[in-house]
Amino acid sequence: MKLLTHNLLSSHVRGVGPRGFPLRLQATEVRINPVEFNPEFVARMIPKVEWAALLEAADTLHLVEVPKEPIEGYEHDEKFLKKMHHVLLEVDVLEGTLQCPESGRLFPISRGIPNMLLSDEETET
Amino acid sequence: MAAVPTDSGSRPAAGARFFCTAGRGLEPFLMREVRARLAATQVEYISGKVFFTTCSDLNMLKKLKSAERLFLLIKKQFPLNVSSVSKGKILNEIERLINGDPESWLNTVSTWKNLLELDAKEDKLFQRAANLPKRKGEENDINAKKLKTEQLQELQENRECQPEKQIEEETQEQGDFLTKREKSQEAFQNNVVKAPDAQNQNKLTFRVSCRCSGVIAKAFTAQEVGRVTGIALMKQFGWKADLRNPNLEIFLHLNDIYSVVGIPVFRVPLASRVYIRTAGLRSTVAWAMATLADIQFALPEPRVRNVPPNVTTSIGMLRCPLAPTETRLSSEGSASSVDISGDRGPEVAGAFVLDPMCGLGTVLLEAAKEWPDVYYVGADVSGSQLLGACDNLEAAGLKDKIELLQVSVTDLPLPSESVDVIISDIPFGKKFKLEKDIKSILQEMERVLHVGGTIVLLLSEEHHRRLKDGEQRSSPLNSKGSRTDEPEPGVKKCLNPGEKTGMSETVPSSFQSSNQECLDRMPPFGSLVPVERHKVSLGRTDAFICKYRKLHSSGL
Repeated sequence: MKLLTHNLLSSHVRGVGPRGFPLRLQATEVRINPVEFNPEFVARMIPKVEWAALLEAADTLHLVEVPKEPIEGYEHDEKFLKKMHHVLLEVDVLEGTLQCPESGRLFPISRGIPNMLLSDEETET
Repeated sequence: MAAVPTDSGSRPAAGARFFCTAGRGLEPFLMREVRARLAATQVEYISGKVFFTTCSDLNMLKKLKSAERLFLLIKKQFPLNVSSVSKGKILNEIERLINGDPESWLNTVSTWKNLLELDAKEDKLFQRAANLPKRKGEENDINAKKLKTEQLQELQENRECQPEKQIEEETQEQGDFLTKREKSQEAFQNNVVKAPDAQNQNKLTFRVSCRCSGVIAKAFTAQEVGRVTGIALMKQFGWKADLRNPNLEIFLHLNDIYSVVGIPVFRVPLASRVYIRTAGLRSTVAWAMATLADIQFALPEPRVRNVPPNVTTSIGMLRCPLAPTETRLSSEGSASSVDISGDRGPEVAGAFVLDPMCGLGTVLLEAAKEWPDVYYVGADVSGSQLLGACDNLEAAGLKDKIELLQVSVTDLPLPSESVDVIISDIPFGKKFKLEKDIKSILQEMERVLHVGGTIVLLLSEEHHRRLKDGEQRSSPLNSKGSRTDEPEPGVKKCLNPGEKTGMSETVPSSFQSSNQECLDRMPPFGSLVPVERHKVSLGRTDAFICKYRKLHSSGL
């Protein structure tokens, strides 16, 4: 699971609503994968990033050199884009958990795949 | 533009004439693809086969995604005259396919040799560079297996009266284990066997595969026809028959509509992908769905888009009114080629494409191969399917392009309006018992899709019916009270094969009738407006590829 994906995921446990985001990340196995850098791709992602969630996750994983926020003219700032590229796409959480901040429900991550299936009682109506 | 001469051309520069077999319903996709990818000219189709001329080499031809198999055309002509009572007269006609026009045969064989020689030269370089020692051990086993399956196929093909529609099913069975290296080694081996004989065509070995259906199948078995053809070939050209491992394969297809003879270009069907370890959905259909999803036009930022109610897109054109640049494919005749994989401009990179019922990931794999600069996410409820998908991704080298989630399609843990494109094969059939109905699935998809986004689904006839029936009762978009008999807003012009392109006159009646159905029965679903619908064959069953576009926020 990449941090770009983590940035989108929220808990759908019944009743939590918007307080189901962001999911608290705990990782027991992380892998850094080199991924081909495509500046346009990264630039397109920047406006969609939820920064607080990203910084929290990056912090948990002890990542360094993580930009705190988008900078002016980021589309053309290769240094900035490369750092974001690394944080969003090259860090892969293979084993760990995601926790709903409101209900405490734990979702396991196994082989890089988060399992967010809810039982019927847990699903929102 | 001057027409390219139709002789089977010994020089690739002049363009060679080919044909592909295609699954029913995929012919229009294939026609569009050969024009875009191969700058093909003189493109026409007749019931399950698409004919075209191109100068492309084997490397480009290998890339065809919506075809089953590819052949060099030797002859295409009117069906054999079987009105005669005398079997002998009919056999004479079969023989005349060969001795009436030996030039065509020799020219095509020559073209075939040239194509392979070119490929073998390129492959020599490839093999030296690639150097994958671990493949070596597997090769022998695989070749032995392959020979066996080929023989099986041989036997199958010589059975009597094969109905045409079953043909494409068979091709799925073989060649799953062959990799590109094996394939290229094949071509290389073929050439090595031939090379010393290049001067002396008499030493060429061949095998005839024959399919007969319609009236002629009542008079003869495929085996008989094959035998007669084989003998005539031996007499005419001095070639030797070899049923086990021939240099040259001859493919002969006789039915009520045409007589077609060709040389298969590859041993393994194009439809069997080297990069997919375990296929779920037929890869040709998966690719066709991905092309409809307008991935190359999807803009990542959510915006309200002004789409006129009668958006018409016919399969003959890749026209998207929302795109900053309209990519219109050349109509038949002009040679401009359009890169079907989209340019690497800003509108391609960064789109978010989701398959919320991805299974083994076939659809995403096909899309990611074609449009790699996109963010792909696959989701499924089944852990075992996801592991299979994981496996496929790894085998295809696409692990860092496609993310996987284990979630339920009716309960996606994604923000509303965060997805640009959804492509999905909705499972059906006895194996899959859908707990949630098609409407709740579509509702959740609608929620996560941003306005202006595209959904392409593969629906069984049953799903399709359920959507259609349910909607007509409530018809939300037709507010203003009255229920009119006019087609709903956004009703699409479906694929009409007869117009716009210089095609052969034989348009199967099934297309015409599905056109009518199309115009009558495609209701919108909430804010999702239907854009196109295509009926395709999945072998034993038929299904519909349905495309929707989200017109406004679903909250309204």
